[in-house]
Amino acid sequence: MLLAVMRLGSNAYGVMVRREIENTTGRDISIGAVYATLVRLESKGLIKSFTGEPTAERGGRAKRYFQMTADGEGSLRNTHEIILKMSAGLKGLQAT
Amino acid sequence: MRDYALQVATWTFSWLAPRSQREAVLGDLLEEYALRANAASASAARRWYLRQLCASALPLLWTRLTRSAWLSTLGVALCAYLTVGVVELIVNWALASSAAAGTAAYNPLGMFITFPMVVLIGYFAARFRRAAPIVLGAIMLLNVTAMTLWATESLPGWYRIAYFLVGPAALLIGRALNSARPAR
Repeated sequence: MLLAVMRLGSNAYGVMVRREIENTTGRDISIGAVYATLVRLESKGLIKSFTGEPTAERGGRAKRYFQMTADGEGSLRNTHEIILKMSAGLKGLQAT
Repeated sequence: MRDYALQVATWTFSWLAPRSQREAVLGDLLEEYALRANAASASAARRWYLRQLCASALPLLWTRLTRSAWLSTLGVALCAYLTVGVVELIVNWALASSAAAGTAAYNPLGMFITFPMVVLIGYFAARFRRAAPIVLGAIMLLNVTAMTLWATESLPGWYRIAYFLVGPAALLIGRALNSARPAR
């Protein structure tokens, strides 16, 4: 979820986050699961959110944009380093 | 969107979604519904919308429950109440098993043993939710009142008074101990 928010940059809101995960991983994910995770990440201070302008195609409802915080980036970097270290040298994981 | 099923689904979504995210969730659903209706068909978009409701219900409900302050306080208090009940059962069973203890139900020894355990339960309940020991104390008072009013057997006077005071007092001590612990 954090990676999706990071990849989308300034365009990270519910629909785009859901689509990004679906397109990248091939897994169908519900909007409820997306928001449940985003709310949890925000409460941990890993992301922050702000409300955008209401639009007609959304029935006059505003988008909620999500952005990485410095803590979120640090946490992501840390996890990425751990994955790289743990998977280093494992032949079964090398891309074919 | 005049479809009755979709209206019910939208109403359910608006009830399930956390208040802070409600507008965004409904807006996202409507936006993607419109995109899918344009790209494929209205019936495909409708199926997607209803599938989304089924798949979203549990995570949204869980988020709503865990983010609701009073619900989680009540949840912690009820869990602590169950723990107190289990502790009481074990203590009473242990006293009833020992020959020297006499009648376990009205044994002051039971209260002496249970007291520090209830203090501990109050302490840990306050670690999760600060107000949980107070809610638990209120539940215990209600329970004891009900027991006193509708008890079929006559309870000793000291036992009633002690029961009214001991449980809530132990919880308040547990809460005070938790407040007094040094911040990390």
